[in-house]
Order: sequence, then C-alpha cells, then structure tokens
Amino acid sequence: MDYRKIVEMVPIEKRDTLLNKLVNYVLKSKNIDKMPSGLAKTILHHWQHDSLANDLGLAAILEAAVALESDKTMSLLEEKMQLPDVRKAVRQ
Amino acid sequence: MAKFGVEFVPSEPYWKTTFYAIQAEKKGFDYLWITDHFNNRNVYVALTAAALYTEKIKLGPGVTNPYLINPVVTAQAIASLNEMAPGRAILGIGAGDKTTLKSTGLEMHKPLTAVKECVEIVRRMTSEKSVTFEGDIFRTNDAKFLFKPRTEIPIYIGAQGPKMLELAGRLGDGVLINAGHPKDVSYAVGRVEKGLERSERGLADVDVAAYTSFSIHENLEKATQAAVPVVAYVAAGSPEVVLQRHDIDPEKAEKISKALRAGKWGEAFGLVSSRMIEAFSVCGTPEMCMERITQLLKSGISQFVVGSPIGPNVRKAIDLISEEIIPHFEG
Repeated sequence: MDYRKIVEMVPIEKRDTLLNKLVNYVLKSKNIDKMPSGLAKTILHHWQHDSLANDLGLAAILEAAVALESDKTMSLLEEKMQLPDVRKAVRQ
Repeated sequence: MAKFGVEFVPSEPYWKTTFYAIQAEKKGFDYLWITDHFNNRNVYVALTAAALYTEKIKLGPGVTNPYLINPVVTAQAIASLNEMAPGRAILGIGAGDKTTLKSTGLEMHKPLTAVKECVEIVRRMTSEKSVTFEGDIFRTNDAKFLFKPRTEIPIYIGAQGPKMLELAGRLGDGVLINAGHPKDVSYAVGRVEKGLERSERGLADVDVAAYTSFSIHENLEKATQAAVPVVAYVAAGSPEVVLQRHDIDPEKAEKISKALRAGKWGEAFGLVSSRMIEAFSVCGTPEMCMERITQLLKSGISQFVVGSPIGPNVRKAIDLISEEIIPHFEG
C-alpha cells in the first residue's frame, strides 16, 4: 500500500486536522510494539525538519496510526473526517 | 530572563520521548531532563535519541545517582553524550530514592559523601588525564579514558534536604530543587546561598532550578486529576518537617504511603487533598501556573522545570506552556 499516494487524496483544508488527530492517536496508543522501528525514525525525522505536514510526513503518520490504532483510524477517516475514499484506499 | 526546562520519564518507548523532546526544543524550552530509574528505559539511551534529533536544547539526566551507577561510568556516559551533542550535555546528580535503591539491594549509605565524591570524580575524569581518588565511598586508581572528553560539563546537584542543598550550593554549577511551592523553594534557596557563601560565590554564579511536579490544562479539574498520582507519591515520601510546613497531617501522608505500598492506587489517590496538590505541584490553568511561576522566580530561581505529569495530554501541555507561559517571562 502506497501511503504517499493515499494522502494525496486528502484535501488541503483537512490536512492539519487529520495530522493533529493522527499524531494524538499514535502518541496515546498503548500498542507500542506495533510501531515498526524504521517508521518511528521516519516520523521523528519529519517532525525534526518541520515536514510532518507534507505528503511524506503525513503518509508516515497515517501508516503508524493504522498500525497502532487501526479501528480508531478507520473510524476517524470515515466518520469524523468524512474521507471515505481515503478509508477505502487504506483498507485495500 | 527565566529559563525553562522540561522533565520526561522514559516510561514510554524512545520514539515518544524523542517526539516530545523535539517538540520542547521547537517550543522554546532551554533544558531537557530525563529521569534515571533502573525500572524505566535507560536514561542515556533516551538522551542519545533526543540528542540525535535536536540541535540546541541542553540535555542530561535529572538525576542520576552514584549508588547504582559508578561515578566513573557516569563520567564516561556524560562525556560520550557531550561528544554527540557538543556543549549541550548537562549532568544532574542526586542521592537517588531509598525505595528504588532498596529494591536493588543497595543502601543509601552516606548520601552527602557519596554525592560529593561522585561530583569530584566526574569533574576530574572529564578534565584530567588520569584520576587516582581515595574517598570514603569511592576509589579510583589511575583511571583514565582512552578518548578526550570535550568541553566542561555543568553539574547540577539534585537536593531537597538542608544539608544536600548546602552541598549543592557549595559544589554545583547548578542546583535542582525538588519542590514547587514558594515556601519550600524560598527555604531551599536560603540553604543553597549558605553553601554558595562557603565557596565564595553568589546566586548569580549558579543556575538554580525549581524542579516541579507540573500539570497544566485549560480545565482546572483535568489538570488536577492528572497531578493526583504524582502528588500522592510526593506526599507519601515527604519528611515530616515539609508536611508540617504545609499543615498536612503526617498520618494522612502515612496512610497514602501504606496504600501505595499495598498497590491500592484508588485508595491512595482518593486520600490526596487539595492542600497536598497545592503544596506539592504547580497545577492548574495557564493563568494559575503563571502566577505560581512568578512567585517562584521571586524566590531566586533562574530555571523553572516542568516535571511529570506536565499535563493530562503532554503534547497539548507543551504547546500551552510555549504559547501562554514562556513568552510572559521572556525579555
């Protein structure tokens, strides 16, 4: 699954809200063992360089949120964010 | 200008602590302190990760102790960190806490001597070619590093009791006062000044920090709820003289201590009173926290450390401190 292509489907006006909520899910998650080591480093790299909101950064956070909090993330995409196409793409 | 520090407990995986460390640097904090307890992630591993992803924030253990970690190893670790983050490493040394030490079979033997000797060994190991030291507790025999440590590393001494506070004033480049109430901090600064007099220095020559249990949220109730568990532990571990200073019934503190030892968290947390919250934490809305910090700065501190729990949501709390509090004390 190419998360970078998926996040290109997120409208610009929804990106900040989505990013903020996904970061909260990841940081508050108890499923810490599900975080791939390389992905954690990618997220920290983008956070350090203020690029978490660009396509690569958002893609990394979305991937982490799906890995750590799959149900919550799906529900967020479908219901709160009204992004059914993004949800569908993640599911595939 | 007041300096701000933040303390993280590495009870979470390194990537969470590092995420918050990056955030703290971006948001204007000057110092990052990581606690050192053997039952959490290793402090130097956490600091290394933080060092790799930050550029300017000063960082170090807050605090390590000389019983579990031999001073020579502490010197090695902090010198290595200072190589990775040149000029940014700082070292907090304290006597440790009795409960944690006991669980590893160690006694807190002669804490003043242990801290004093540890400071001397670390200073000498990071500045001299070879160190032979004959102390009451520690000894080294021609101990030397096979690498050259970089610049001098500021040593902060973590202190609460009167004698340790005086020692901190006498020997430290900085002092970490383990308190957040103006009554306690004023008293502590007075003792630090006594130590400073003995080394012919004044408050302006050292960095004196109030190392506080801190909890901030726009909603007072939420801030308080987050502070309760930490305050329970502080109240349970406070000496009677401190409890009396705040009109807290020592029997009630003992009941909390018993409940904590028995693992009855609900009972222990339920016994925490608003007086205890007020005495042992800086807790509340941004306005309330700002008022308390203003009072503490008048006591003579130069650094304010926001310690655990920081807030019910750490990320949000760091943003709040950065937006509502730090700018107020700049310039």
